Amino acid sequence: MTSTPDHEQNAYRQGAPTPTPRPLERWFPRDPTTVGDDPDYRFTLANERTFLAWVRTALALSAGGLLALTVLDDVRGEEFLGIALLAISFLTAATAYRRWALNERAMRLNTPLPSSRLPLLMAIGVAVVSLVAALIAALN
Amino acid sequence: MLQHERTALAWERTAIASMVSGTLLARRAADLHVSLAALGLLQVVLGAALLIWTGLRYEQLHAPLRRGESPAHPDAVRIIGLTTVGFCGAATVIAIASAMT
Repeated sequence: MTSTPDHEQNAYRQGAPTPTPRPLERWFPRDPTTVGDDPDYRFTLANERTFLAWVRTALALSAGGLLALTVLDDVRGEEFLGIALLAISFLTAATAYRRWALNERAMRLNTPLPSSRLPLLMAIGVAVVSLVAALIAALN
Repeated sequence: MLQHERTALAWERTAIASMVSGTLLARRAADLHVSLAALGLLQVVLGAALLIWTGLRYEQLHAPLRRGESPAHPDAVRIIGLTTVGFCGAATVIAIASAMT
C-alpha cells in the first residue's frame, strides 16, 4: 500500500503532468493552464498583476542602474552602483514568470499558494546597494 | 470588472516602464557602440506594441469574462517575462563591458 498526499492524488486525477526534475522547468515551468479547473477570474487577474508588478520592479531597477551609469558619470564608484542594480534587476526578472506559473498552478489545483523569500531578499539587496550609494556619495 | 480595468492599467504601466528603460539603455549603449543602441530601441518598440495589444485585449476580454472564461494568457506572460530577462541581462552585460573599457 502506498499513500499519497491528498493534493497529489487530486492533481493526478485532474490530469496534472507528473513533476519532472528537469533544470529548465525549475526556472521555466510548463503552462499551468493545462491542469486543474479555472479559478475565480479575479484570482487569475490578481496573479497577473503580481507578475506585472515584479516585471516593473525589474524594469525600475534597471532604469535606476542605467541612470546611475549615465548621470553620475563623473562620480567614482558609479560603475559598481550601476552594475549592482542591473544584476538585481536581472535576478528579479528571472523569477517573475516562475512565480506566476507556480501561483497559477496552485490556484487551479486548489493547493496552498507557494510562499516566497523574494520580497525579503529584494529588500535586503536594495538596502545594501543604497548604503553603498551613500558611502560612494560621502567619499566623493 | 474593476479588477479587469486595474489589470489592464498594470499592463499599460509595465509597457510604459519598458519604454523608459529602453530609452535609457539606448542612451547608455550608444556610448559603447552606436549599433548597440538598437537593443534599447527594440525594447521601446516592444513596449509600444505591448501598450496597443493591452488596450485591444482590454476591449476584447469583457465578453469572455462575463461568460466565465479564464482570462489567463500564459503566452503573453511568457513573452513579457522572457523579454524582460533578456533586456535586464543585456543591460547588465553592456554596463560591465562599458566599465571595462
